[in-house]
Amino acid sequence: MTMHAPAPDAAKEPGRLAITISGLVKHYGSHRALNGIDLEVRRGERIVICGPSGSGKSTLIRCINALERHDGGSIVVNGIELTADEGTVQDIRQEVGMVFQHFNLFPHLTAIENCMLAPQLNRGLTKARAEKLAMHYLERVHLADHARKYPSRLSGGQQQRVAIARALCMEPRILLFDEPTSALDPEMVNEVLGVMEELAASGVTMLCVTHEMGFARRVADRCVFMDHGEIVESRDAASFFQAPESQRLRDFLAQILR
Amino acid sequence: MNGLPIDLALAWESLPALFDGLKVTAILTALPLLLGLALAFPICFARMSDRRWLALLAEAFVTFFRGAPLLILLYLVYYGLGQIEALREGPFWILFGSPFGCAIVALSLNHAAYMVEVLRGGLLAVPHGIVEASEALGITRRNIFIWVKMPLAIRYGLKAYQNEVVSFIKGTAIVSVVTITDLTAVANSIFEQTYDPFTPILCAAAFYWAFVNIIRLGFGLWGRWLNRHNAEDVAADAGVPGRGAALRRTSDLGQVTP
Amino acid sequence: MTNLSLADLAGYMRQLGEGALITLELFLTSFALAFIFGVLIGIATLSRSRVVQGIWRVYASIFMGVPSLLVIFLTFYGGSAMLGAVLGEFGARIDISPFGAGVIAFTVVYAAYIAELVRGAIENLPKGQFEGARALAIPPAIMWGKVILPQVMRLALPGLVNVWSFMLKETPLVSLAGLQDLVAAAKIAAGATKEPFIFFVATALVFIAFSALSFRLASRLETRLDRGQRREAAGRSSSRAAA
Ligand SMILES: Nc1ncnc2c1ncn2[C@@H]1O[C@H](COP(=O)(O)OP(=O)(O)O)[C@@H](O)[C@H]1O
Ligand SMILES: [Mg+2]
Repeated sequence: MTMHAPAPDAAKEPGRLAITISGLVKHYGSHRALNGIDLEVRRGERIVICGPSGSGKSTLIRCINALERHDGGSIVVNGIELTADEGTVQDIRQEVGMVFQHFNLFPHLTAIENCMLAPQLNRGLTKARAEKLAMHYLERVHLADHARKYPSRLSGGQQQRVAIARALCMEPRILLFDEPTSALDPEMVNEVLGVMEELAASGVTMLCVTHEMGFARRVADRCVFMDHGEIVESRDAASFFQAPESQRLRDFLAQILR
Repeated sequence: MNGLPIDLALAWESLPALFDGLKVTAILTALPLLLGLALAFPICFARMSDRRWLALLAEAFVTFFRGAPLLILLYLVYYGLGQIEALREGPFWILFGSPFGCAIVALSLNHAAYMVEVLRGGLLAVPHGIVEASEALGITRRNIFIWVKMPLAIRYGLKAYQNEVVSFIKGTAIVSVVTITDLTAVANSIFEQTYDPFTPILCAAAFYWAFVNIIRLGFGLWGRWLNRHNAEDVAADAGVPGRGAALRRTSDLGQVTP
Repeated sequence: MTNLSLADLAGYMRQLGEGALITLELFLTSFALAFIFGVLIGIATLSRSRVVQGIWRVYASIFMGVPSLLVIFLTFYGGSAMLGAVLGEFGARIDISPFGAGVIAFTVVYAAYIAELVRGAIENLPKGQFEGARALAIPPAIMWGKVILPQVMRLALPGLVNVWSFMLKETPLVSLAGLQDLVAAAKIAAGATKEPFIFFVATALVFIAFSALSFRLASRLETRLDRGQRREAAGRSSSRAAA
């Protein structure tokens, strides 16, 4: 257990752990993007990850669903160890949903078709059932009225909410967010954060890379600060902001909150 | 002196023969379009493969069958392969045993080589983030190709495809050199009977023109339907009527230049 | 190669070489003419006159929608008659050679494509170019020669390279009108030696090699034009700063 282990009971009950990362290393060529990351995420825990640009936040969460392959250490998701095996990767991706900075919606499909595609292909749902499921989640992100529109007709905030609904339609137990609001115009940030807060209240496990410190204060169980491919500090949200230990985090917060 | 170089009576008399010629031209267009496309897929995968020798082999195919003039390809298949006893007698007699078969082979190989580049261009244009989003949803590679990559690649490559098809149709005019009576051959034989240098050739030209422009119209409608999700694109296309007339290969120049 | 003596081979090689020269001559002449006419037509069609636009549309549509082979046949078989109509008795007695027919046909067809490229490039020029030159009271001829056309060529270069390689691949069509070019020579050699495979593959490779060579030159030209462009742009902005 490291000094910032939040949950002493977690180790005794592995079933309560959603994600266990230990000694994670990732290189891009000779550049070491992740330098020995240890992180345990309990079921239902909401974690906010922040840190300067290039510190490895995206790389870390992209390793969790194997969009990037790690080259050292281990990642266990819901009890499944992530290996190079294609089947394992598919299994893990069914459990983990992801929301990207740039939405990445399918431009040739309507909002509802965006949401229906994966359930139909992965779980063999009929069109009618997939449509019902998609509609349910579009309602949850308050976009039922826009279900038949193509992404190009939606605002950035609406597109990001469709992306969230699309991820929810696979009913994942873990959700990863990579700076979901940083490509948005300021007036649209809140509609997306609002949806994310509602999600957080529903008990899903969330790992969220964001610099929205208000959101972190309200929602996060734990905040993680990364720099140079390492986790520098990891603690509960209140003490994270009030009593940062390291100088690097103090500097970072001073910049962000200025 | 007659102002019009066209002998209307002769043109009227020639109509049935010209229509027969057009039918042959249409068949010589349709079959190689299908065969060439079918051939282009595996070769395109090979071209984009990580295995170097496979990619090089596919590139050599493309370089040869795209770089060689169609007339030489036709001679090569007709006089070169068609004269090999083993090919004429073997299971490929249907391809190499007749002028028609040889023409189909030569045209298909040429079209396939161009289509490899059209396909590759379209596939490379698919934004990486959209593919990643599909992977993150746990969609299998096969399904991503069928439901995400191909639909988008078709949209990005449609103009190049149209140019290729139009230019291909015009290219079929050479098949008369291996004794096939296509539209051009019909016009030639009428010329040889009547020594009217204008009427038959101009009539055949009108037929080609109509054929080519019906194809263009079809592509225009197809493109508009595919791009219904993106109103601005449709408007932009409609504003540049001359574009569709551009040479084939225009859009894949980047792949041609070293 | 059973029945191919060394002396025979040398003879065929000489014929092939002569044929290749004719092909090259046909190609370069046609491209040069198509280029000149294409640029002129491209500029002429900038006129807003309805008549000019109408003529351009019809011309482009016809020659982009019809096989080059038919245009070659038309000029070859119908050329004398057409000249007769234009020049009277004198013209009717001129016989058009396959070479002449090929040059005329390719010029007419490819000038349309090049004009289209030039039009597109001019449309893509920043509008400030024209206004800037006008504001400085630069005479139109100099404006076109020194400012507009060099940039148009830079923008149109990729398309021109395309037309170049496409036209090259169509030059063998003129052998069907009786021109003794490379492909015709290859066909004769192939028939006489009963080695069609070798001769046609070799001929194809000549075309491919020539294409590859011209692509290499074009990409070098492109980088040079780009460099000139950047220097020019830098010069312009500094002179503006000085003014
Ligand atoms: N595909 C890649 N190829 C090479 N280097 C990369 C790649 N992706 C990220 N990096 C490098 O890895 C480091 C971490 O990147 P990233 O995880 O995206 O940082 P963050 O999301 O914290 O801004 C950076 O130095 C970045 O330049
Ligand atoms: Mg990032």
